[in-house]
Amino acid sequence: MHIAEGFLPPLHAAGWTAAALPFVIVSAWRVNRLMRDQPQTKLLLAAAGAFAFVISALKLPSVTGSCSHATGTGLGAILFGPAVMALLGTIVLVFQALLLAHGGITTLGANVFSMAIVGPWIAYGVLRGAQGLNAPLAVSVFLAAMLGDLATYTMTAGQLALAFPDPASGIAGSFVKFLSVFAPTQLPLAVVEGLLTVVIVNFLREYSGDELQILKFPSPTVAVEARS
Amino acid sequence: MKARNGGLLILAAALVVGSVWLGSRREGAEFAGSDGQAMQTVAAIQPDYQPWFGWVWEPPPEIASGLFALQAALGAGILGYYLGFKRGQAQGRRKRSDAGD
Repeated sequence: MHIAEGFLPPLHAAGWTAAALPFVIVSAWRVNRLMRDQPQTKLLLAAAGAFAFVISALKLPSVTGSCSHATGTGLGAILFGPAVMALLGTIVLVFQALLLAHGGITTLGANVFSMAIVGPWIAYGVLRGAQGLNAPLAVSVFLAAMLGDLATYTMTAGQLALAFPDPASGIAGSFVKFLSVFAPTQLPLAVVEGLLTVVIVNFLREYSGDELQILKFPSPTVAVEARS
Repeated sequence: MKARNGGLLILAAALVVGSVWLGSRREGAEFAGSDGQAMQTVAAIQPDYQPWFGWVWEPPPEIASGLFALQAALGAGILGYYLGFKRGQAQGRRKRSDAGD
């Protein structure tokens, strides 16, 4: 989902930067308040950011014979709420843009918008929806992380389609073209991200009951254990 | 939790290994990055588009692989520290309550 440096026309680059900026500012404010009001969760927040850091560094092979990487932003979104992830995702993307020639500064806004805003919000929404339908927590977490990952790549395809409409079939035709580059490769990786996120959440329910209780993460059994 | 997580990790690893196996059976499979393929699609749709800004710094390949490893190591290190710390904390609590404090 990294749109390479200079690969969005200036107007688009500026537009996505303007769209992403308020989310990142609110996110910084939210993280700041979280540190002040719930300092016990500081270490878990660092761990959620670290999860995105390691997951997005790993380029994994896919059945299509190409490689891609997962995003890792779903975990933090379901634990801390989606707003917090805008800042953490931006840190990851700045690191990659400056040190790895991966993504870019001119496309940072667009990449932040897809990976650090759309992905986390979709993940959070899916978790809420699945929990509302009384799905088991593991299933909800899996779907949230997987669909958040796919949403990020769908957003990137949309951003590229808006900037580069197909001469014959327009934005819609271009969107299908970009999506067909990303989606088949991403699907198995999104499943892997879903599985890994469930593994971490299982661990947290076993050992981090106190933090989950502070964050009111849906885990009734752990909450009861922690109280007794 | 342990058996279940073990199973999930094996499933995730099997998916990745299976992907390499299935992927390399396809003709012309080079395991190129999908990000790069998307940029090639840009060139196919608008052949005259020129990126108007270059990378601030592009690391030589060897250094890039080191920096990617550094990114993964930083993430895995912090994550591992947290998981180990919480597990030790829970074990300490259990031991204390066994001793009857």
